[in-house]
Amino acid sequence: MNFFKRAWLNVWAKKGRSVLLILVSSAILMFVLAGLLIRSAAVKATDQAKADVGATVTLSANRQAAFKKMQSSSSSTSKSSRPKMTLTPVKLSDATKISQLSNVKSTNVTSSTTVNAKSYDVVSTSTGMGSSNGGGPGGMKSSASTGDTQIDGVTATSLTTAFSNSQSKITKGRGITAADKNTNNVVIEKDLASQNDLTVGDTITVKETAGDKAKVKLKIVGIYKASSTSTSASPMSADPANTMYTSYTLANTFKGSKYANTADSVTFNISNPAKVSSVKKAGKQLINTSKYALSTDDASYQTVKASMANVKSFANKIVWLVAIAGTIILALIVILMIRERRFEIGVLLSLGEARWKIMAQFFTEMLMVIVVAVAIAGAGGKFVGDQLGSQLVSQSTTTQTTATSSTGQPGGSGQPGGTRGGAGGPGSTNATTSAKAADTDLDISVSAVDLAELGGFGLAITFLSIMIASGGILRLEPKKVLIS
Amino acid sequence: MLKTEGLGYWYQDKSEPLFQDINLTFEVGQSYAILGHSGTGKTTFLSLIAGLDKPKAGDILLDDRLLKKIGLTTYRRHDVSIVFQAYNLFTYMSPLNNLLTAMAITEAEHAGDKHFALRTLNDLGINEDLATRNVQHLSGGQQQRVAIARTMACDAQLVVADEPTGNLDEDNTKEVIAQFQKIAHDRQKCVIIVTHEPDVAAQCDHQYRLENKQFTQLA
Repeated sequence: MNFFKRAWLNVWAKKGRSVLLILVSSAILMFVLAGLLIRSAAVKATDQAKADVGATVTLSANRQAAFKKMQSSSSSTSKSSRPKMTLTPVKLSDATKISQLSNVKSTNVTSSTTVNAKSYDVVSTSTGMGSSNGGGPGGMKSSASTGDTQIDGVTATSLTTAFSNSQSKITKGRGITAADKNTNNVVIEKDLASQNDLTVGDTITVKETAGDKAKVKLKIVGIYKASSTSTSASPMSADPANTMYTSYTLANTFKGSKYANTADSVTFNISNPAKVSSVKKAGKQLINTSKYALSTDDASYQTVKASMANVKSFANKIVWLVAIAGTIILALIVILMIRERRFEIGVLLSLGEARWKIMAQFFTEMLMVIVVAVAIAGAGGKFVGDQLGSQLVSQSTTTQTTATSSTGQPGGSGQPGGTRGGAGGPGSTNATTSAKAADTDLDISVSAVDLAELGGFGLAITFLSIMIASGGILRLEPKKVLIS
Repeated sequence: MLKTEGLGYWYQDKSEPLFQDINLTFEVGQSYAILGHSGTGKTTFLSLIAGLDKPKAGDILLDDRLLKKIGLTTYRRHDVSIVFQAYNLFTYMSPLNNLLTAMAITEAEHAGDKHFALRTLNDLGINEDLATRNVQHLSGGQQQRVAIARTMACDAQLVVADEPTGNLDEDNTKEVIAQFQKIAHDRQKCVIIVTHEPDVAAQCDHQYRLENKQFTQLA
């Protein structure tokens, strides 16, 4: 194994050349490592997105079927009577069946309605053209069938999109939980609370808009802050400040006795977003699809996944392009090195050294260089990876979000009984997706596995370079070199 | 020890060989000089007996074994040691490491023995200080002595030298030839020197002249 010693003596004696080789190899390996780091970080980010971003399947009334039914009934009735679209509320017994499917992490029952303020004043948004509801400051207590206060009945506020995405935050007290079922507990918005000097523990009175229009006392258990505010003249119940969260059982009570054990929609949070389709397929077999529809929302996951897939694909290209370019560059350097050292090779051959051992000497020399280069690249690769990765994520996320927005998102189902789209309403998903995707960052850190992989690439590049250049050694005739 | 039987060599045209039908015998303990003008083929002859090239006709036998049967690489490793006009040392090594490397490659008896290598160098006037410097810091004469020491440190019975004094002054030439004589007589090796200098050839035990494609023994 004398070639090891020769290799070491050569690398040590020709320090300048060795340093240059180390610098070239470090630059090549730094980019290979950056690619490897971005690729592994993209894989990790995609896995993390599965857990963090989540996906949902929503069970709601089948609007399309109801619309068709309305159209067919309108043709058979007189023109004077206006046809009505009847949406069937979701039966909780049906929802329970779906909630028992595997991959369903949690269930959020949503039931929305409106009530009228009785003991407090709703927040009114006025434009320069005057108040939206025609009342003076402080608004008015409407007696219309659409109330001035939006009631969002939920299983738990933490399960709603607004709260899970931190668009809304509890600032005092607590949110609605499953334990609030069959209670009159309510969570109100901060602006509404401050306008009426309300705080946690206070009681407010509302008047139902349906049935006997009874007055109901509600106990404030929490105050939340909504990130969005109303900027236009719209129905007062549409103002985020006038939205209260209660248990869905209370919302059903407001809507009337026939709504007991029903919901506008039931959202199932799926533990693995990749399983959304299979949950939807299994769920469809458990429900009457002529009445109910199952819609999926894994847009956030898909956006992150697509974004990370782009990053991963680009990182793969970086790795291979740099590896191939690096091999070519190093091979050329080794070829020049061999040409320069053909007398030495001739002497070795004249001494009876095997050609493979001469190649092994060159390989060992390059290996020594690569070991140092791996160490340097290990230190610098993270920096390059960080810079390149954040740039890639930023570009890729923007591209994906733009693409997603332009193609449109499933807006979720409309909610019967309410006056607006609710949590799954059109537009809200896009905003959420953008926020989530923008939050996705690459966790670029150099692990032992990354260094081992880099070492493998370094080894392969070195081996290939030597193999490409070895033609010169194999063809070399000592007589021509030594005796001329 | 070394015998050529009907040896012939040509480049492109077989009808114009450099030499042909050469039958010579070289013995251990003797030194041989091969003289000849430039282009007569003496260096080519040397490259054949050094195992650096294959003859176009005839055979070379070492102790009655055909060289082509031994294999040129094995032959170069164990049986022959070459000294070149341009010294051809490893330029990134010291004289000591040059010897140790050659001893390791040729699997010499004293392979790895640093003291033996230093002693061999010292016998040729390369002291320890010079022995540990880079060879490029040595004079031409000193470098050629290192090259000779390399052949002495290895166990090969046959030493071939191609114009070993070609780059040396008169004093160094005498010194080097004296060393070759010592190698032949004291170490009982067969030394074959290719030279165009009659004075150098005269100091060898036997002289051959390559002329008109044939070898002629001068003395």
